[in-house]
Amino acid sequence: MSKKKQVLLAPLDPVHDIGLKMIRRGLEHGGHKTHLLPPDLPAEEIIQEIINRDAETVLISRTLGYGVAELLARFVDLVDAAGLRDKVTLGIGGMAIRPELAAELGFDAGFGPGTTVEEAVAFVEGKEFKAAKQGVEKKKVDITSGYSYQFINEGLGRKIEQVAELIIQWAENKTSPGVRRAVVRDELWDVERWRNRQGNSEFDKEYPQLCGEQPRNYYFKGELHPKTRRFTREEVIALEKFIHETKPRVMLNRLQHTKSRPVVFNQYGTGCPFMDIGHIKVSEAWGADGVVHFDPSWGARTEGFFDGFLTHQEDGTVITPANLNRIHGGLEPSTLWQVRAHRGLNTPETVVLGAKIGADLTKINICYGSLGAGTDPERLTVDGYHAIRYAAKYKMPFDVVTNEELAGVPAHKAFAGMLIVSALAVKLGGRPMLQPLFAYSPEAMISEQMEDNYVDFNAAKIYALKSIIDAPIWPGAPIGFLTQTEDRVQSSTTTALHACLASSLGVDAISIASSDEAYSGGPIAVPSRTDTLKAVGEGFRFFGGTGISPSERAKIWAEELTESIEAVVDQVIDTGDFVEALYQGVLGNREEGAYPGRAGKGTVRQVES
Amino acid sequence: MEILDHVMDALDVETFLICDSEEEGRALALELIKEMGFKDFDIVNLDYQGVGARVRVRAYIHRSGDKYGWLQLPKEVN
Repeated sequence: MSKKKQVLLAPLDPVHDIGLKMIRRGLEHGGHKTHLLPPDLPAEEIIQEIINRDAETVLISRTLGYGVAELLARFVDLVDAAGLRDKVTLGIGGMAIRPELAAELGFDAGFGPGTTVEEAVAFVEGKEFKAAKQGVEKKKVDITSGYSYQFINEGLGRKIEQVAELIIQWAENKTSPGVRRAVVRDELWDVERWRNRQGNSEFDKEYPQLCGEQPRNYYFKGELHPKTRRFTREEVIALEKFIHETKPRVMLNRLQHTKSRPVVFNQYGTGCPFMDIGHIKVSEAWGADGVVHFDPSWGARTEGFFDGFLTHQEDGTVITPANLNRIHGGLEPSTLWQVRAHRGLNTPETVVLGAKIGADLTKINICYGSLGAGTDPERLTVDGYHAIRYAAKYKMPFDVVTNEELAGVPAHKAFAGMLIVSALAVKLGGRPMLQPLFAYSPEAMISEQMEDNYVDFNAAKIYALKSIIDAPIWPGAPIGFLTQTEDRVQSSTTTALHACLASSLGVDAISIASSDEAYSGGPIAVPSRTDTLKAVGEGFRFFGGTGISPSERAKIWAEELTESIEAVVDQVIDTGDFVEALYQGVLGNREEGAYPGRAGKGTVRQVES
Repeated sequence: MEILDHVMDALDVETFLICDSEEEGRALALELIKEMGFKDFDIVNLDYQGVGARVRVRAYIHRSGDKYGWLQLPKEVN
């Protein structure tokens, strides 16, 4: 038990004494006798109080920074001159204080911003203060739990389910090279044997035959994609050392203040798995709950995956088993990991590969992937159908992205497509998540629905979706994107405000943009991630349990949106063929900037009986 | 390990440059980063409003695919 002390607390400051009041409470809990002086006393008077009170410890606070060094130096000189310096322990704290400055001026300790009451009490008691490991305990969240996936708008629901049934009938007897690779990956690739370098001889024989030219050249001739290189053994050893040394030091933080949602995702994809791991560790430490793997655009147009531990010189990190495996090994246990499978020729195989390596989530969307991302609608419908079946098999939830901002497709068309794919997923046993966009999108620019604010139209999207189906909602890909500029403050603020709106509307998750997202001259730098995460955390703190109130227009627009979605679904039904509806532009046409993709055209085949 | 080896990817220099135009601000920003000795750089953001330019210049220390100083690779492979 430490000896109880006489402690004098003196704000050497015109007004501020809140820190000392907090410390006084801590000291009194510890049984110490405290005397708090009023602010703005002259130094001479404080010294007289030290004598009068027979103080053993003096804690001075000084919040304002101007002339602080001179002021404090003079105080120490006066203590010295009064013959007290050897009799009292002197501590100084405040916003402008750093330990080095305190030591230089002759104080026994200096407490800067962020000092805890416990630290100050330990100083008074002459104990070494051991900070409890900061950070929070985080657990992996299941975003889809608690949802029934029942249609609330039963009439519209029946129509959407009718289209989903059309897709099943159309797709179930069709296959493609992408589906065949997924089958081989699913049936012949044993991830544990691969991890133990024991080989998967049947897979190794079958797989390259199903790949396009580049991956085939890799497997048969050892040729890499021109923008990639292999890591050296030394680099791999150094990376393992980095992960091993960094992991114990990473303290997790929470961005959400009092609410538990939305879960916050940050997208990575520097090109290099090493750099990705660095960015992921930073994202985790600054509060991200999940991360999203972003692959190079050429990956979506390539039939098959390379293997090997590869770095890539441009944006987007190459999906290979080795790359995914290494990134997975760097994740904290609580971090949700999404490997996107939504848009290219490797869609079903990405689901299988991601699931086998340990991904928690994936992303599948037939409509956007075939109208805005370059894949032939027929091919992506077949591949998407099988991808969903694999996602259901591996119990991997997935979001169905709309990305209406990229092509300029109006929200009601994008949402009709998203709801159709979601209904298909539910029929196939999957757990889809609706992913509308929050941004100043081209549609809103034209319609002027965001002239007055960014709140109402985004709120209308959520109101509409919630009135249609009981399913998780995850605005993103990412929120605020296209609303950002290259300016760091503007981008971080806008993202944070969108995040707060999302939180206020009660959504389950968000993907946030880093403040560099609008800058196209180079990769997103890691400080941009911390800036945005800090801004989002601060936004959540600012609003806390209160919310943003959209105007009545949001409800009116939500109703209009719902009616328009129904009209689109009716059109698809009238077409009688979902794939044909994609080609005809029912879910997004050329005028709106949505073009049926051509990658993989003519590769769909009937299943041979 | 050199200090710049500790940089994960890039070093941003943010400042306010007194100048007469956006063009001058841009030229000054590039001159500044060159004078600091960097070779791989870009202006991420420049906001000119009459008084001068609020600028963010980025010098890349490590790009994807490089050898990363923070991995503390043995000297012979650096």
